[in-house]
Amino acid sequence: MSRVNTVLGPVAAEELGVVAVHEHIGYGMPGSELDSRWWKTPEERYEETVPKLRRFHEHGRPYGGGTFVDATGICNGRDVDYYRSLSTKTGVHIVACTGFVGGDTALPFFSRASVEYLADQFVHEITVGIGGTGARAGVIKVGVSRGGRMTDLDKRIYRAAARAALSTGVPVLTHLAIDAENAIAIFREEALPLDRVLFGHADDGVNAAKTRDTWIAEQGGRVGFDTFGYETELDDPPFWARPRKERLEHFLRFVERHPGSALASADANCSPLGWPGVKGHTVNYIFEDLMPDLRAAGVDEATITRLFVDDPADFLSIHD
Amino acid sequence: MTLSSSADNPHVNTVLGPVPPDELGVVAIHETLLSVVPGAEHAFDLAVDRAQVFESVAAKLRDFREQGGGTVVDSSGMFHGRDVPLYEALSRSTGVHVVASTGMGPEGMLGGYFLTPQTNPPTPWPAERFADLFALELTAGMVVPRVERRGTAGLVATAATRSGMTATDESLFRGAAHAAVSTGTPLSIRYGNDAVSDLEVACTAGLPAGRVVVGGLDRADAVASAAALEVARRGAYVGVDHVGAQDDVHVADAERVALVIQLVEAGFGNRVLLSSSATGVAVGHPGNDVPFAAVLATFVPLLRAHGLGDDDVRQILVDNPAGLLSVRPPDRA
Repeated sequence: MSRVNTVLGPVAAEELGVVAVHEHIGYGMPGSELDSRWWKTPEERYEETVPKLRRFHEHGRPYGGGTFVDATGICNGRDVDYYRSLSTKTGVHIVACTGFVGGDTALPFFSRASVEYLADQFVHEITVGIGGTGARAGVIKVGVSRGGRMTDLDKRIYRAAARAALSTGVPVLTHLAIDAENAIAIFREEALPLDRVLFGHADDGVNAAKTRDTWIAEQGGRVGFDTFGYETELDDPPFWARPRKERLEHFLRFVERHPGSALASADANCSPLGWPGVKGHTVNYIFEDLMPDLRAAGVDEATITRLFVDDPADFLSIHD
Repeated sequence: MTLSSSADNPHVNTVLGPVPPDELGVVAIHETLLSVVPGAEHAFDLAVDRAQVFESVAAKLRDFREQGGGTVVDSSGMFHGRDVPLYEALSRSTGVHVVASTGMGPEGMLGGYFLTPQTNPPTPWPAERFADLFALELTAGMVVPRVERRGTAGLVATAATRSGMTATDESLFRGAAHAAVSTGTPLSIRYGNDAVSDLEVACTAGLPAGRVVVGGLDRADAVASAAALEVARRGAYVGVDHVGAQDDVHVADAERVALVIQLVEAGFGNRVLLSSSATGVAVGHPGNDVPFAAVLATFVPLLRAHGLGDDDVRQILVDNPAGLLSVRPPDRA
C-alpha cells in the first residue's frame, strides 16, 4: 500500500492529486517572531491563507485533489495545529516536514546536537508525531546555509536526514542544490537511494547557474524547479528572482532530457511570517501560470499529469 | 504597589508594573526563572509541563522570600525562555518582585533572523536594529511572540562570546547600550574574554559606566586579572554573580568572599552586586541546583565572618541594586 503522511493522517498516494511539492503556509527565519513588525492576528492569517488554499483545492478537482507540501523547517514557524485546521476546512492535503531549511535556521539546541540526536528527532516526528499534535511529518527538509557551501552543521543535518529517510521511508527535500557533490557523497555513504532526494531550488536566479542539475539527474537524484513565479518582471522581485522565460526554457530543456527527474513548485508563502513576501505570488501560480505556459510550449497533458501528479506521488510515498 | 504616574517618579520596572526602588528589598541581580536553550521547545524528548515549571520556580521564589529576599532579576534576556505571563503569575503568587530583561546574546544564542537575514548578502544585524528591537520592549512592552506585548523590561541584558567579542556581539552591545540610554534603563553585560574592554564597548553609545553591571567577574580568569577592581574604578557595577557555583570556570566561595572584601576595602562597596545565576527550571541544558537564596543563606554569613558590617551588607544587597535598576529618564540621566 502506498501511503503519505499528511497532517490529518496517512492518505493513499493515489489520493494526492496535483502536488505542490515545495511551498510554505508561512515562513520566517528563527527569531523573526520577536520582531513585531511582522505580526498579524490569527484573523488576518486565516483571511490571507484560506482563499488561496480553497482556490488551490478547486484547481485540483480535475486531478482528484490537491496536496500542499509545507517545507517550513522546525524552527521557521512551522505550526502543525494551524495546518491541521487549514486542511480540515479547505480539503487540501497538507504534508508537513521535519528537518531544517539549512544549518543557519537550526536554533542553538539543534545546532549543538549530534547526528544521532538529529536523526532521532526526525524519526520521532515521522513515526510518532510532531510535538503534541499527533501529526506525522511526511518529508525531511535539509538545506545549504547562506554562503554557497555546505557547513559542518549542514552536513550533520544531511547525514541525519539520510538515516531517518532510510529507516522511515519518507523522502528528503533540499533547500538549494548547490554544492551537490558534498550532499550526494553523504547520501551515498548512508546508502540512501538518490531518487528519494529532491534537490530543490535548482531554478532560482541566484543559484541556477551554479547548480549542476544535469549531473544531479545523472546520479539518480530528482531536481526541483520549485521557485516558479519569483520573476524579475514583478514590481518588487526578491533577490532570487529570475526572468520568467529563462526559467521556463530551463525547465523545458531539463524535462525533455531527464523525464521523471524533475518536480515543480512555486515556493510561495500563503502568509509570510518574518519577511514581506511577494505580493500576488501564490501556490496557484502552478495552475494559473505555469500549466498554461507549459501547454503553450507544446507540453502534452500526459506529461503535465506526470510532472504534477504521478512523479510527486511516487516521491512522497513512504518506501518501506 | 504600582504608581499612577511612573514617568515622574523614580521607579523600577517589574513584570507587575513600576515599583518604587526602596520597595525592592534584597535583590538577586542575575538569576533566571525559566532557562530554555533556544530551540529546545521543539525537542522531541523534552516535555515541558507548565504547571510543574510554575510549582518548581514558585517554591524557589518562596524560599528566597523566606530567607529575606525581595526581588529576583531574570537576566537572560528575551530569547532564552523568558515567559512574561508565567513570571507575572509567579510574582503575584509568591510576593517576590520579578524584574524581566530584554536583550540577547552572545552571537551563538541568536536566531538566524539576526545572523543570516533574507537579504543578499545576508549581513548580520547592525547595532541600530538591535537598539530598536530592544527599545520597543522598554517602551511598548515585552513580546509574547506573535501574540502580544505586556509589561516593561527592567533591564537590558547581553553577553559576548566566551572566546572573545565577535562583530555581531559588538552590534548587540552597542544596540543594547543605545536602547538603555534612550530609555534610562540599566544594562547588564556578560563579558567574553576581556571584561574591561567589553565594558568600554558598552559605554561607547553614550551610556555612563554607572548604568552598567558587568557580570561574571567571579570567573577565574577575571579574578586572575583583577578585572573587578578596574571595572569598579571605571564606575560600573561589579557582578559577583555565581555565588554557590562549583565548577571549573568560576572561583569558589572562599575566593569570592576575598574578592568582595577586597572591593569594599578599596572603597568600592557601592559598586558590588551579588547573585547566584541560579536557574529556576532549565530546559535543554543542565542548569544548576543553586537556590535563589544562596547569597542570603550561605554567602552573607561568610562575609560577616570576614568583618563586613550591616551597613556594607545592606549597601550591597539592597541599595546598590536599587540604584542600578532605577529608571533614569533620559533628560535627567
